[in-house]
Amino acid sequence: MPEAPRALSVTEAMTLAKRTLEGLPVRVIGEVSECTDRAGYKAVYFTLSDGSSTMSCLMWRDAFDASGVILRNGLLVEVSGSLTVYAAKGRMQFQVRGLEAAGEGVLRMQVAALARRLELEGLMRPERRRRLPEYPETIALVTSPRGKAVHDVIRTLRRRYPLAELLIAGVTVEGAGAAPAIVEGLRAAGESGADVVILARGGGSYEDLMPFNDEAVVRAIVGCPVPVVTGIGHEPDTSLADMVADVRASTPTAAAETVAPARDEVSARLTSSRRLLGRALLLTVRRDRHRVAVARAHAVFRDPAELTSSFSQRLDGAAAGLVRALPDVVGRDRSRLALAAGRLGPAQKRILDDAVTSFRHAAARLEDLSPLGILARGYAVCYEADGTSVVRSTTQLTPGDEVVVRLHHGSAGCVVRTIDEEKAGQS
Amino acid sequence: MSEAPTPPEEMRFSDALAELESIVSALEGGQLELEESLGRYERGVALLRACQGRLVEAEQRVTMLMGEIESDDTSDDA
Repeated sequence: MPEAPRALSVTEAMTLAKRTLEGLPVRVIGEVSECTDRAGYKAVYFTLSDGSSTMSCLMWRDAFDASGVILRNGLLVEVSGSLTVYAAKGRMQFQVRGLEAAGEGVLRMQVAALARRLELEGLMRPERRRRLPEYPETIALVTSPRGKAVHDVIRTLRRRYPLAELLIAGVTVEGAGAAPAIVEGLRAAGESGADVVILARGGGSYEDLMPFNDEAVVRAIVGCPVPVVTGIGHEPDTSLADMVADVRASTPTAAAETVAPARDEVSARLTSSRRLLGRALLLTVRRDRHRVAVARAHAVFRDPAELTSSFSQRLDGAAAGLVRALPDVVGRDRSRLALAAGRLGPAQKRILDDAVTSFRHAAARLEDLSPLGILARGYAVCYEADGTSVVRSTTQLTPGDEVVVRLHHGSAGCVVRTIDEEKAGQS
Repeated sequence: MSEAPTPPEEMRFSDALAELESIVSALEGGQLELEESLGRYERGVALLRACQGRLVEAEQRVTMLMGEIESDDTSDDA
């Protein structure tokens, strides 16, 4: 018969329990509640639970401060340490030596794995990104109908670009139902006829961001018929939604600024168009006025009499000289002189008239035949490299020769590449 | 461009602006005859006026596709 154990004092029993428990290192994952962190306390107290059991925890201040974890209700943490007993109250406690946020690490690993998979699929390639419309008529916004984000976008667009109609799909962006709600919002936005979609959310924790790391949301962005701009305030974290978006802006306000220009910019562009329009027309008018002026200044439009005046003067001079010379030649026969002079008068006029007429004809033909006139009609003259001898036949040329081609405006130095022998010599 | 052009008021803002800017560059090119320059200039001015009018008079329209917006208690509107 085994000896019945000796009855222990309460203190002895608690000491036994304490010694037994403290020898076992334990790691526990649980959700934080009832956190007490008061300045002046030597330790931080909180409760961990998993939904069906709870466990009181204590952590010395130095160790807690060193962990860098900010406790809040609902945070999933992993603690290491050991169970112990507080003998004075007969209570069991967990003495925490190591503390770290558990949920986030696990989530980050899952997100990173999904990111790799999507990247292999090519969904993050830069060339997949679509260009945003410059002046959208309709902008769709998918975001929570509560909170700052929706108003930030409305206000920014009202101030900068009220021309665009704003369609809003108000959806839940936090919690279990968020991902399907965002997918539905993106679908409605894509089918609304909008030119561009903004997917926005205000700042929050990494866990708050999780719906934007959901594969269904990522695929809804990729499948959206129009470009999607994300404005998810989670710097420095980048969500998968950001990675596949056509443009990623850092905040809802920045997203709104990205999808449309500022009214002032458009206004400045219009002002510059107005100036250019006026100047361009003025230049056209000036150019044509100049062309008319050049034509008007052309010789044929000047007084034709002026063209013949020097010839008339020479004729007059010759006639006068003739008259002066007459006395020397036929000085003795004054009656014959008078008779001759009388006949010379009408003859001189007839000669002059004929000369003027034929000179006018010649001047007109000269205009027709002027090489400059021909060039103006689109013909060109080909000179040898010296720029003076005209090339009339391919027999004057061999490939590689340099020639000068004179056009209506200016001339060009050219090199002969080929020669068509058959036509040589023909005119 | 030879058919009757759409009245600027009936065009999308972006289309009107694009046509305006193409008119400006055509006129700047200086290849147009005077008659056509004048025609394009008139069209350009009409487009310009329509765009500016819309820019000045535009008032934001907001339509809900889904959900209801809660009033903005963080409003910092001037």
